[in-house]
Amino acid sequence: MKPARATGRPMNSLLLLGAALLGSVMPSLVAQETSGSKSSDAKTADAKKDEAKKADPEPKWFAVVGGDVHTGTGGLLRGATVLAKDGVIESVGYSTDLPEGTEVLSARGLQVYPGLVAISASLAVSQGSRFLAEDDLHMRCCVDFGKNGHLHEGPLDAELDLLLADQAGLVDAQSDLRDAYDPFSSSLLMTLAVGITSAEQSGGALKLKRGEIDGVVMRERFLSSFTWTSASSGKTQLREKFAAAARYLREKREWDVRKDKVKDLPEPSKKGIEQKILSVLDGSARAKFNANDRDDLLGIARLAQEFGFRPVIEGCVEGWIVAEELGRAGAYAIVYPRQRRDKDENLVRAGGSSIENAAILHAHGVQVAIGPASNGIDLGGITGRDLLHLTVDADFAVRGGMTDAAALAGITTVPARILGIDHRVGTLEKGKDCDVIVTDGDVLHYETLVQYTVVAGKIAYDKQKELLFAHIRPRTPGDGKTSNSSGDSAPASAESQPPQR
Amino acid sequence: MLLTTLLLSIPTPADPPLPSLYALRVGRAETIAHGTIEHAVVLIEAGKIVTVGQDLEVERGIPVIELPGATLLPGLVDCYSRLGLDSDGSSGFEPQAKASVELYPDQKIWAEILELGVTTLGLYPAGSGIPGQGFVVKPHGATREEMLLRDPSYLLVHMRSDPGSKKFLRDGLEKADDYDEKEKKNVEKWDKDQEKKGAKKDDKKEEKKEEAKSFDPSPPQDKAKKERKGYVPSEPDEKAKPFVELRQDKLRALCTLSKAADYLHLLDVLREETFEFDLRVFLRDDVDFHHVMDKFGEKKLRIAMDPRITLQPNTRRERSYAMELAAAGGKPVFVPRTDSINGLKDWLRHVGEVVGAGLDRQVALRAVTLEPAQLLGLGDRLGSLEPGKDANFVLYDGDPLEVSTRILAVILEGELVHGEIDQ
Repeated sequence: MKPARATGRPMNSLLLLGAALLGSVMPSLVAQETSGSKSSDAKTADAKKDEAKKADPEPKWFAVVGGDVHTGTGGLLRGATVLAKDGVIESVGYSTDLPEGTEVLSARGLQVYPGLVAISASLAVSQGSRFLAEDDLHMRCCVDFGKNGHLHEGPLDAELDLLLADQAGLVDAQSDLRDAYDPFSSSLLMTLAVGITSAEQSGGALKLKRGEIDGVVMRERFLSSFTWTSASSGKTQLREKFAAAARYLREKREWDVRKDKVKDLPEPSKKGIEQKILSVLDGSARAKFNANDRDDLLGIARLAQEFGFRPVIEGCVEGWIVAEELGRAGAYAIVYPRQRRDKDENLVRAGGSSIENAAILHAHGVQVAIGPASNGIDLGGITGRDLLHLTVDADFAVRGGMTDAAALAGITTVPARILGIDHRVGTLEKGKDCDVIVTDGDVLHYETLVQYTVVAGKIAYDKQKELLFAHIRPRTPGDGKTSNSSGDSAPASAESQPPQR
Repeated sequence: MLLTTLLLSIPTPADPPLPSLYALRVGRAETIAHGTIEHAVVLIEAGKIVTVGQDLEVERGIPVIELPGATLLPGLVDCYSRLGLDSDGSSGFEPQAKASVELYPDQKIWAEILELGVTTLGLYPAGSGIPGQGFVVKPHGATREEMLLRDPSYLLVHMRSDPGSKKFLRDGLEKADDYDEKEKKNVEKWDKDQEKKGAKKDDKKEEKKEEAKSFDPSPPQDKAKKERKGYVPSEPDEKAKPFVELRQDKLRALCTLSKAADYLHLLDVLREETFEFDLRVFLRDDVDFHHVMDKFGEKKLRIAMDPRITLQPNTRRERSYAMELAAAGGKPVFVPRTDSINGLKDWLRHVGEVVGAGLDRQVALRAVTLEPAQLLGLGDRLGSLEPGKDANFVLYDGDPLEVSTRILAVILEGELVHGEIDQ
């Protein structure tokens, strides 16, 4: 069988080149950092390869063909093909040879984006709604617990589990997220339905796979929460702890060098040093502060600069006032664009929230991730304020002057960097995971619906196959479909233009 | 012939109300093993079924009880119950715990259970995690020994999608691994000792040679397979024992699940384990087991569930998991919706509802008799009308799945334990 060819439209590529040149959207600071320790990445990659070899020697090919591909690196490739091998992107571009047996998802007339990354998400996303819907079982559980005959108000199953786990000292940090993962829950489906393919959970990052639990944890416990108190004593204490940890690291490094030459050189004591801080300083974790006041933000920026780490600042409401300082400190900001805060009228200086916050921070080189007004999946969704409206939150940042590209980065590449998974997700590039969403328009447009969500080269959500949004503007048969043949692909029809902003 | 006259004709006092050898002639019998038989005759001797057939000739002299209006069903088997037990149970990791320590024969509830046609009751240990081992009783008898049919029946494992319950099972299997490892060493040592012994005794020289030959080139696996006369395996640690027994097929596991994901997590822990297990799933309206139904079917799993039509999550779409499981190749088992006397009263009515919604009638009847008996490890003794099995029957005045049907009598191991069967 002759390999089929997904023909693009070469006349666009000139335009695209221009776009790519213009499109260095990210401030240059970004490029320096590749988060995550290399060795562990390499290890997981090796493990993956081994697994693939053992389980299935035949690689699985998957391609999204004919859509307008927004790579997230600044380029827009109209009518291009994204080809993935075993869930990892093999190529993005034109005139791609599709190997025989490639599963083809036609995105003709549709838009193709990297899967979104939720910087903050309720645990319901990965663990389902077991906390809510287990009434029946909960009653049984009480029966199980020997309260036979009278069903009293007992603790929920989950609470009992936690209690038991706690008692037996069972909480195993390594496998928490994986062992509680529910790949069938409706919360997960809803999250995928809005295009989110990776989500922060308990400071780690999960890949939202459907129907399987293997390989869902991309990183565990990477974000480490720190409390920033406005009280000066608290600030001093924290600074001292950082100083002690830094001193220890310095002494340890020196000791490592000298211990072979000098006999009986005492190893520096780790006593009183917080492991959490050591992890931040040696780069194996990232410090996250929750702060909004100008003074606090400045304090954090100073601490970070003094000890040489890049802080993640959640909230950052008054960040627009001190954006320059934050940018210089290499800060990441998690901004909730719909958060409102009044100015403190006692102060003469500027204060309070600004609609321009995200835009100003970005303009000063702060990495801005955009978070949802609420990270749950609940009734808040009726008013569009929950995790399912992440793109709408990004819109609010655009309304305040942020560029579309920066706003999109705020829900893809920047959260990926903050979570230390940017080597795997956030953009559509060779070597990254094939987490792709196919939409019927600009992803940030309020009217746009996700048509397909692909996670690791597998279709995890198809709008027409699930009950959630199938009835809203049903997809017409020509609008993209899957096929397993590698038949010839005619050029996309110019008529089917997606809604433009 | 009236039963009362029959009784009178027997010299022994009221102790065995039915003779040791007798025949039952009923309008219809649900044999479970061979479908429905009209005008069935069942011959019973010493509490066991001798033969079952249509319009069988009964030898003269054998008393025949004529019940032309009755439908005969093997005694019902409820395989997942806590009735009659009362304790706070153990919670966490207590695989060695036996629920049977809670058994007290002298309770009114046993008679109530029996009157509802339940002749076998599988009781499980209270608690969460891996709370212990269940057991089986007949709800009749003056002493524990009389009541007990099988102890233990299954190791109960509550599997949930959380690190805690997965760790329990992992720990258990690791303990079994440790034991296997230790046992392998013991065997090697034993073999060496034997060799030495053989060397000492001159008359056993040849044997030793033979042994040595087969010994050296063979890999350790082959050694392990060799029969060793006189070798006594060491006793595993009490918490490891149930898991060792699982691998030796001496014990079965019953795993409970609350949602589809729990099954993936169960498989995730079991990995290469090959021992058999059954499942107990709790059905409620938003339950999502359809995601793993094909996986259930693939393994031909036996799954205890509530006789209930459920709704697909977030919809009003009805699903019948029993039907889906049967279609996928699995074996449904029904457990009363609530674990109470009222639950038992409504049990067959609820099963009838599921049959009304499309489940095959024979599959449904099997799911309250033979399949639960299999789950309890008593499939060769209970659950169907077959020669050699216990004469446990429920006699109904109509279709057992009909709402208006009443129980006429209950027979346990050939004895009338409830109702009257004089015509």
